[in-house]
Amino acid sequence: MKKELGIFILLIVLCIIVSIINPNFLLSINLQNLARQIGAFGIFSIGLGLVIITGGIELSVGSMMALLGVLLSMTLTEYGYGAAVAVLASIGLAMGLGLGHGLLITRLNMQPFIVTLCGLLFYRGLARFVTDDETKGFGAADYESLRFIANGNLFGVPMPFVLLLVIAAITWLVLHRSVYGRYLFATGRNSEAARYAGIDTKRIITLTYVISGALTAISGIIFAFYTNSVSPANHGNAYELYGIAAAVLGGCSLRGGEGSVVGILIGTALLQVLRNLVNLLGIPSSLDFAVMGAVILIGVMADQIFTERRNRRQVALMRELSAREAK
Amino acid sequence: MRPENSFRPMILLCVITLLLAGCQQGIHSGGGGVGAGGAGGKHKLAFVTNNASDFWTIARKGTEKAAAEIPGIEVEFRIPSDGTAAEQQRVIDDLLAKGIHGIAISPVDPVNQTQMLNRASSGALVVTQDSDAPQSNRVCYIGTDNVAAGRQAGELLKEALPQGGKIMVFVGVLDAANAQQRYQGLKEALNGSNVQIIDVRTDNTDRVRAKSNAADTLVNNPDIAGMVGLWSYNGPAILSAVKEANKVDKVKIVAFDEEDPTLAGIKEGAIYATVVQQPFEFGYRSMELMAKYLNGDKSVVPATKQIFVPTIAVKRADVDAFQQKINQLRGRS
Repeated sequence: MKKELGIFILLIVLCIIVSIINPNFLLSINLQNLARQIGAFGIFSIGLGLVIITGGIELSVGSMMALLGVLLSMTLTEYGYGAAVAVLASIGLAMGLGLGHGLLITRLNMQPFIVTLCGLLFYRGLARFVTDDETKGFGAADYESLRFIANGNLFGVPMPFVLLLVIAAITWLVLHRSVYGRYLFATGRNSEAARYAGIDTKRIITLTYVISGALTAISGIIFAFYTNSVSPANHGNAYELYGIAAAVLGGCSLRGGEGSVVGILIGTALLQVLRNLVNLLGIPSSLDFAVMGAVILIGVMADQIFTERRNRRQVALMRELSAREAK
Repeated sequence: MRPENSFRPMILLCVITLLLAGCQQGIHSGGGGVGAGGAGGKHKLAFVTNNASDFWTIARKGTEKAAAEIPGIEVEFRIPSDGTAAEQQRVIDDLLAKGIHGIAISPVDPVNQTQMLNRASSGALVVTQDSDAPQSNRVCYIGTDNVAAGRQAGELLKEALPQGGKIMVFVGVLDAANAQQRYQGLKEALNGSNVQIIDVRTDNTDRVRAKSNAADTLVNNPDIAGMVGLWSYNGPAILSAVKEANKVDKVKIVAFDEEDPTLAGIKEGAIYATVVQQPFEFGYRSMELMAKYLNGDKSVVPATKQIFVPTIAVKRADVDAFQQKINQLRGRS
């Protein structure tokens, strides 16, 4: 919990500063926009976070979204399948790809970095090939219910955010309150030890990539309907980095075995608030990434310094206590 | 080391060699249909784009028409995968190695690619299209005058906003030459008018970012009167943000290029106009010019070494006719 607290304070301080400089930040329309972004980015970040907790990495997220996005558009508009079929096919395909990653990593003992890096390259190329490098869209056709689920508002709350809350709640239960969650942390912390303790680590890890695939598909559908058009060459480019950043900011360790759902949510929110504030404060777009980098660095640095100082104080206190007892 | 291990690298090497050989075969047999007659005095021409987009699909139709109509040429269409100068360099090197006679290229970074273009022009006829590199030895430029296109967008804005007002400009990256020139033209046209540019927002070609930039602008500037999208996808991104904020009546949009949502937006009156280029002409005319030039007719290159293909403003009245034409070019019914 301590890890999330620092980043949470940073998020709150940032929000307060922005809303003092520009009260428009708190307009309901802006909060809606922000919630929509947090929802869309948060869902796949949770998947990525789970993978990171196992000690793995998933780099193919952005490319997978491009591939799923163009296929979704093609199944809906060109082949004329119903929305339910297209969505299920999309999620199914992504889970299949995740299964492929998981099997390659666990059965052939390949590095997650390599497997998913190849996915990043391969899916991007495939997306461009199947579309002949043409942008795919959903036109003016309605797909009313799907559009609502992906991008509508439920009592004024953007659906992506609602979906994120539901998914986060389920993931929280699974990760922090179930056997699977304990196995996941154990596997991430020390997979050898976990295996000797009788945990089927291969299955756990594979399953995680499958879940990450499914969550990527859900985010992918949301993004596809958010932009209403999917350019195979650019869609979702480098989005895996937003996921990885959100997870690590939220306390996931890239070495595995550490992390929490709440942390990932806070990390995602922080990244999206940073993107939002660049526009609201009229900071030149060119400084966009610089602002993001600087704020995160300063925040994490401050957190680190405070934690270390507190630890040192605690150690000193302990020493003093034991010295007193010795007397 | 166990003995079997020493075989592994060998086997791997064999597999890779076979795979590569297979690929090679594929390429050769794929090109064989066209390449077969190539040795007999045909001009081998290539069209190199800057990245992958619908824009180039239309240009490709132009090159295909040229290849079908003009005798004695064969045309190769190359799309560098990631839109970087390095990738273009690799494509050019490959083409030169294959013995290409003429290249029509849209350089990503004209200033710094001058040397590369000069090197290419010592081995083949080099023409720039879409984006010019005037410092290089390229024989001619065929494409849009982007400053003029920007001015045209400015005039459209003044027409849409007779009362004037604040406008915001959106583009992918501002360091691209065409973005700079369009922006310059826009500023020139609006200079001294009551239409005032607040700022430029960039999105690094990420459409999600493009839309949230537009949405944030609407939040932050409730009195915004106009929005301009300098790149093709900015139009649809602005449109959908404006629609979601229920401000279609209050914000006049001027876009560039002809993405489907942009045309649909013009049809329903939500977008005031779009400035379109004619990529089909880039494809056709560049091939035609290179064919003539290689046949010895050097008069096709004007003294300015620039052939401008004019941009067209598409408004509500012209949109149906334009859509029909563009669908034909894209091979849709």
